[in-house]
Amino acid sequence: MGNVLELQGMSMSFGGLKAVDNLSFSVRENEILSIIGPNGSGKTTTFNVISGLYEPDSGDILLQGESVAGLRPDQVHERGISRTFQSLRLFGNMTVLDNVLVGMHTRTKAGVVAAMLRLPSVRREEAAAKAKAQEVLAMFPGRFSGPRQSDPAFSLSYANRRRLEIARALASEPALLLLDEPVAGMNPMESREVMEQIKELRSRGYTILMIEHDMKVVEGVSDRVIAMDHGVKIAEGSYQEVATNHLVVEAYLGKRGAGTAS
Amino acid sequence: MGLSRMLQTLRSITERVPRRVWAVAGFSLAAIFPLFNVLGFMPTAWLRVGVVSLVFVMLSLGLNVVMGEAGLLNLGYIAFFAVGAYTTALLSSPKFGLRWPFWALLVLSALLAMVAGLLIGLPTLRLRGDYLAIVTLAFGEIVRLTITNLQPLTNGPNGVTGIYPPRLLSQGAIDSLQASGWSEALLKWLVIDKPIEYYYLVFVFVVITAFLISNLKNSRVGRAWNALREDELAAVSSGITAARAKLLSVVLSAGVAGLAGSVYAYYSNVISPESFLFMQSVIVVCMVVLGGMGSIPGVIIGAIVLQALPQVIRESAGAMRSEFEVYRMLIFGLLIVAMVIFRPEGLLPDKLWRQEVHEVDPRELEKTRQSLFDVEEGHQDLEA
Ligand SMILES: Nc1ncnc2c1ncn2[C@@H]1O[C@H](COP(=O)(O)OP(=O)(O)O)[C@@H](O)[C@H]1O
Ligand SMILES: [Mg+2]
Repeated sequence: MGNVLELQGMSMSFGGLKAVDNLSFSVRENEILSIIGPNGSGKTTTFNVISGLYEPDSGDILLQGESVAGLRPDQVHERGISRTFQSLRLFGNMTVLDNVLVGMHTRTKAGVVAAMLRLPSVRREEAAAKAKAQEVLAMFPGRFSGPRQSDPAFSLSYANRRRLEIARALASEPALLLLDEPVAGMNPMESREVMEQIKELRSRGYTILMIEHDMKVVEGVSDRVIAMDHGVKIAEGSYQEVATNHLVVEAYLGKRGAGTAS
Repeated sequence: MGLSRMLQTLRSITERVPRRVWAVAGFSLAAIFPLFNVLGFMPTAWLRVGVVSLVFVMLSLGLNVVMGEAGLLNLGYIAFFAVGAYTTALLSSPKFGLRWPFWALLVLSALLAMVAGLLIGLPTLRLRGDYLAIVTLAFGEIVRLTITNLQPLTNGPNGVTGIYPPRLLSQGAIDSLQASGWSEALLKWLVIDKPIEYYYLVFVFVVITAFLISNLKNSRVGRAWNALREDELAAVSSGITAARAKLLSVVLSAGVAGLAGSVYAYYSNVISPESFLFMQSVIVVCMVVLGGMGSIPGVIIGAIVLQALPQVIRESAGAMRSEFEVYRMLIFGLLIVAMVIFRPEGLLPDKLWRQEVHEVDPRELEKTRQSLFDVEEGHQDLEA
């Protein structure tokens, strides 16, 4: 099994602050790799660089062997990386179904003139895209059934909005799925459900890189775990190895005063 | 209080009738409107009001693409209208002794307006909201001042006069049809020079424009615009090329304005810079906002209300005419303020927008609060 993603010595700073410092790791095909670390340790910045929102100061990012560093976010998406956001970013005034359809933008190709005239080819593509979007939504049983698909996204419950964001990211059948704190703000029952769904995605063949604070979820789904602190990778391995690593324990202790990392 | 309850009742009655029924009714009424004049129930002046209203319906449909769908405020939109109007006027009037074919000029007017859209769009689309509004405002003024000062080409403030009426077929073709026995009464319709003929010409354009834009709205192109309007960062991260999609909306809307400008030049016979004041741009923006951004029927209603109503009032004001002219903008302002207070989503809004402004289900609010509470709980979980 090859590497889907390879980060090679990637650094990113904001002014004087080195948010990510010489970070290297790789994500293997069909695995779930989790990134943990205290707030401000550079996890989200790593995602932002991978997905093309920031251009790295140095280092390279390879997707299936080809560099995607310095590409625009839409190009990165087209190549096969899609993501969710830590602070939910849905298209609030669009319907549930349309949110997912936007996620398929790079997988459809109707041009302006064809779309204006609604040519038969456009109609076919549109019908196929809708069917596919509904299929994606069906991965969350009972959450987006029937009439709910034409509700505006802003009217959904918080947990459903998080689910919808995952659905939107899945719609393009990405080679790599980036999830930034997928269960943040969910109650324990909801996070357990999402945890099962993430595992389900792996069994469907997806490769997932996930940032998560909820250690139960990290333990439950991760094949491997990476820990970051101050932009630097401080540990890598199985959940048990990383959770007991003294640098990791220190990073959390230093940050939180009391408590444990697990 | 009484008034607001009355409006409430009126709204609940009107909203019980399905949208499609309203659309068919509106379309039919617009289609038979000139017949009232033919049958002698309505003065020709009203028919003229109808023609100009339809021109503004086109403008609003075009501006809605960029403003309602893509969420970009354009305060110089009337400049594209001017480009179309002057293209047609200069190439079909005694000014240069030219009379280019109608269809060619229609296409050329739209194309040149689109080029203008490209020129203004390319450098400015990276700007956000307020800045874009200021730059487009300046662009509109630059175009108007250029027209005013480019005397040798445009006759400056005097404008271009004597624009020839459009011929749907070339004179040669009309002659040979007549020779082969077509009746003159029928062939007269091929030269557009009466209000009723203009009315139906613009009406057909409006229908076609609305059809094409509505298709686009419900396609991946329209969804890309909406996504950019809602959250640009999420949109580009979902694979949408922001620069291209925005430029497309600006260029397309400019094309519609160019087309409208061409027809307007033919219809008015005379055009001068004073038809393209900044205030006109603002009025078209008001039409879109009043009708309901992103809603095609809404925008059509908005344009008709803001264009036709003042004209009708003026026509019926008689001796008070000049007084009314003075108060027109004041009434406009009051109307918009009233809208923002009582019906911020517009007269006939896009379904979803209305929901956001009014119909927030209290249970959903409760859920949101619950989730916010969960956030805190979640963090406690982590630390425990
Ligand atoms: N756009 C930005 N501009 C300036 N500083 C930023 C920006 N984004 C993140 N940072 C800083 O980079 C560091 C890492 O942040 P982030 O990647 O969001 O951390 P994490 O996701 O691990 O909590 C923090 O100190 C944060 O303040
Ligand atoms: Mg983060």
